[in-house]
Amino acid sequence: MQVSRRSFLDAVGLGARAPLSAALIAARGREAALAAAMPFAAADSAADADEIRISSNENPLGPGRAAMEAFVGAFEDAGRYPTNARPSMADLREAIARRQSVRPENVALGSGSWELLRTAVRLYTSSSRHLVTASPSFESPEQMAQQLGIPVKRVPVDKDGRLDLEGMAKAARWSGLVFFCNPNNPTGGVHTAKAVSEFVGRVLRESPETAILIDEAYHDYVTDPGYATAISLALEHPNVFVTRTLSKAYGMAGLRVGYAIGQARTMEAFNRWAITFNQNSLSVAAAVASLADPAHIEAERARNTEVRAFTTGFFQKLGYRVLPSDTNFVLVELGRPAKEFREACAKEKVLVGRDFPPLEKTHARVSLGTLDEMKRANHVFTAILGK
Amino acid sequence: MLPKESAMPFTRRTFVKTLGIGGAGVLAARRDAWAGLADVAGAAPPRPLLLHNNENPLGPGQAALDALRAALGEGAPAGRYVFTRIDELHQAIAEKFGAKAENVVTGCGSTQILRAAVQMFTSPTRPLVAGELTYEECAGYAELIGTPVRAIPLDRTLKLDLGAMADASKGAGVVFLNNPNNPTATLHSADAVGAFVDRVLTASPDTTILIDEAYHDYVTDRSHKTQVPAALANPRVIVARTFSKAHGMAGMRVGYALGHPETIQKLESWEGSNALNVAGIVVANASIRDQARLEAESDRNTKARQFTIDWFAKAGYSATDSQTNFLFVNIKRPAKEFREACRARGVLVARDFPPFEKSHVRISIGTLDEMKRAAQVFGKVLGVTAKAA
Repeated sequence: MQVSRRSFLDAVGLGARAPLSAALIAARGREAALAAAMPFAAADSAADADEIRISSNENPLGPGRAAMEAFVGAFEDAGRYPTNARPSMADLREAIARRQSVRPENVALGSGSWELLRTAVRLYTSSSRHLVTASPSFESPEQMAQQLGIPVKRVPVDKDGRLDLEGMAKAARWSGLVFFCNPNNPTGGVHTAKAVSEFVGRVLRESPETAILIDEAYHDYVTDPGYATAISLALEHPNVFVTRTLSKAYGMAGLRVGYAIGQARTMEAFNRWAITFNQNSLSVAAAVASLADPAHIEAERARNTEVRAFTTGFFQKLGYRVLPSDTNFVLVELGRPAKEFREACAKEKVLVGRDFPPLEKTHARVSLGTLDEMKRANHVFTAILGK
Repeated sequence: MLPKESAMPFTRRTFVKTLGIGGAGVLAARRDAWAGLADVAGAAPPRPLLLHNNENPLGPGQAALDALRAALGEGAPAGRYVFTRIDELHQAIAEKFGAKAENVVTGCGSTQILRAAVQMFTSPTRPLVAGELTYEECAGYAELIGTPVRAIPLDRTLKLDLGAMADASKGAGVVFLNNPNNPTATLHSADAVGAFVDRVLTASPDTTILIDEAYHDYVTDRSHKTQVPAALANPRVIVARTFSKAHGMAGMRVGYALGHPETIQKLESWEGSNALNVAGIVVANASIRDQARLEAESDRNTKARQFTIDWFAKAGYSATDSQTNFLFVNIKRPAKEFREACRARGVLVARDFPPFEKSHVRISIGTLDEMKRAAQVFGKVLGVTAKAA
């Protein structure tokens, strides 16, 4: 018996009900749990139908319809390893290569970019070659270094929350790996293509053995006209590589798809260390479809940009400084502990970001939900901040 | 007010009918239905018979499909799923084994857990002991991280040589026991494994014994029992399991291990559940509760396996006593030659497994119908069609 694709999708609730079904995949809240290595239960303790979850920098709408259809359609191959599934992991590598105008050999897949960040620490650091990271920045590389007993140099961000390029370049001498999160999570600031290129050039000149990981998890949300991806640098230098994730703008945090781009030999090393079959067959299909649907990402960027301006304006009107953000979150200087603010918000069913030391006494991170969610959240913020 | 079901665009019953998966011949019909869907989507030319990766040819069961559908249609707020359901999954696995959630760790396939065990319990001075021919995940990872591997040849019946492995275990970080063993398909009885565990722990009390029971649900030999009780009782024993085989979820990437809370905590501390995907969690949660489906799958496999063993026996080729969903057959010629000839006729069989690549091939068990079709190809390739028929 043949079923039409349309009737099948209606049957699983993907016809008129698409926005509902994406919730599973978007899995908002995941990032916070992962980064803080919190037990999953703790992250979910307040789960509630009415709550506004703006704590983990995930796309509130989830993936687009094309991705959802592909995801459901791939269930046929749930029993097949992702190398045998159609599309396969090799097809995903090709789809990424096509999207980024590189060759498949320039791509390594990860179970989210999380896995790739960990692998990078393993490949390039040792007890005598430290990790350089910013403080604060995304913690996965630093956590991996700690697990392996590798020394870490933390370079404070500047007063606007941007990576301190001068400080990081100095700290990079004799290091194994520099973790360069651009834009930086949790501060939100971005560096221009020119600044990144100069930084990379300087580090490679002053410390030729050092590798540089440029994490572009928030790439799709950047609006700064001076910004560009560092993929061309990664293709040029064996010790430079870029990581990306489909957990943010692509709205697929629950599916665990990330990738790295670099020279073929560099990517080979990542693949050698990769978790065996680190993609699942349904995610592969959803990711391939997403990558072929750039219009969805454009729309998501535009949506986020509007919400970002709205939210930034809101806090500024209340008299608080918002660090410049090119992401889907803002770091707000509240002049009070994040914990106090977070707990007060949670009572009103608004979940904002966790502590980000060393800024946890003064700054809170607020992810950007939908415009409607932010309008509702702002009522709560206004009441709590007392203005 | 309408009942909830009616408010949905389709009731569950309609959903099932739409896919053609009600009533008899459920699984076969479902596969056709999904295949039809793929055709509409403009996908994929006909695929060869996939008898090379020990997959369950039917995929997940009905309960798993229903669970995923429900999760996609539920419309609960974003973010509720993965966090609550991973706890539910750990609880459900624990209940199945009469254990507690603290006895359970999950991973991206059991492979991730095998690696975690090697990571946490071996070192450059604490080697890995493994069969000379066994599932390679542990040895492969040991080599990556610089852990020496003591590779112990199989005995003459192509079984793991438990005596020699125990002898080699002194000072080892991990002893890896794949039971039944991939790719040889052979099993050691519960008594033999129990005695082996005692012997290793007496000779080398700080060694961790990692027992991979990936093919447990396909075993029909009555002398077999799971070692989960030993793992729950002893911090030095771990049992790994997977949803990739009898559960039919190789594409969903979920595996788990059971052990003493201390040991599980160490495994968990390495990478946690961070590589698990939401769809896998949802589907595993349904599948672990569906014992009837597991048993049906085992029966189905046993029949197709027996057919294939008999076919080879009649054709004059012997296989080991398979307790899995694959055969290790002495085809008296290089696997490569056989594999390439089969591939040319639309059947994929497994890669080389040295040191037996000159004589043995591993063939996974598909559906009975698939095995009948495959047998015709094997007959042509081996030149024994008449004899086998």
